[in-house]
Amino acid sequence: MSEIDEYAEAEIQRLLTEENRLAEQGITVHRRENFVQLSGEVASPHRRDEIVRLVREHFPHIEVQADIGVTRAQPPREAEELP
Amino acid sequence: MIPADDARRDLSEPMISVAAVADVHMDDDVLGRFRPALDELPGKADVLLLGGDLTRHGTASEARCVATEFGRLGVPVIAVLGNHDYHCDQVPQVVEILSEVGITVLEGSSVVVDTPGGRLGVAGVKGFGGGFAGRCASEFGEPEMKAFIRTTCDISDRLAATLQELECDVRIALTHYAPVPDTLAGEPLEIYPFLGSYLLGQAIDSAATALAIHGHAHLGAERGTTPGGVRVRNVAHPVIKQAYNVFHLHVQR
Repeated sequence: MSEIDEYAEAEIQRLLTEENRLAEQGITVHRRENFVQLSGEVASPHRRDEIVRLVREHFPHIEVQADIGVTRAQPPREAEELP
Repeated sequence: MIPADDARRDLSEPMISVAAVADVHMDDDVLGRFRPALDELPGKADVLLLGGDLTRHGTASEARCVATEFGRLGVPVIAVLGNHDYHCDQVPQVVEILSEVGITVLEGSSVVVDTPGGRLGVAGVKGFGGGFAGRCASEFGEPEMKAFIRTTCDISDRLAATLQELECDVRIALTHYAPVPDTLAGEPLEIYPFLGSYLLGQAIDSAATALAIHGHAHLGAERGTTPGGVRVRNVAHPVIKQAYNVFHLHVQR
């Protein structure tokens, strides 16, 4: 698909950071053969859903696939010893 | 690695236990997520360090979420701010809201905490970018370029002076930006100059620093070392993938 060129990739990357409802700097944009994949981790399911929704809204002609996790927040079971 | 609770009892030499996390990016959709793990802190650590990017945009309302989540934990909480916390130009309000719940926010300043294992000194700055030795920006050319690097130089000079002036048993440097490239492994090489500066590492090496803690690099790696041999740990939440990491610093007197 011609829409997924380097300029589209750069625009998506800027949208992720500069769109006030997103402000994400930790998402990687991969240009695949005929779709764009977004990967990384965010702090909540809501933020993951908003990323997908707003990228699709801004780039309706690009197929967007998301592989975004929500970072776990369990207590640590081990400590690192630093002698 | 040994379980955190047991290690505190078993080892006879003095030890200071430090918990740390960065890049928690609080807003109301994350409220309560860290709290169950944070409630375990008094048994696990003498202090909690927050390495910047506490909020998404640096607004007062997001700062109140940080205060609710990380305030009144039963251990001292010491923080630096990150680039996200500067976005809305409300730094004074953010600092005030955090201070109201007892969170100490450092910027070119330090704090000493008396712990059972000894006096822990923490010097903190946000830090800034510029890149790493041999592949870094210089204070040359356009005013904007000179201002960029001058900012990093000034911050690094303040970190060096603050570390050197600390009187304590164990010294920790707390930053948001990375002082070494080691802990950026996993990030695209092209953006290293926006993730940290060797000048911060040089500042850390100018004093007898035991540990350097930073965040900012979500795709980076946990462990690194400065040229002078100081251990560096990237505690960005997406890197450590748990509520916080705990470090046992064995005190040599």
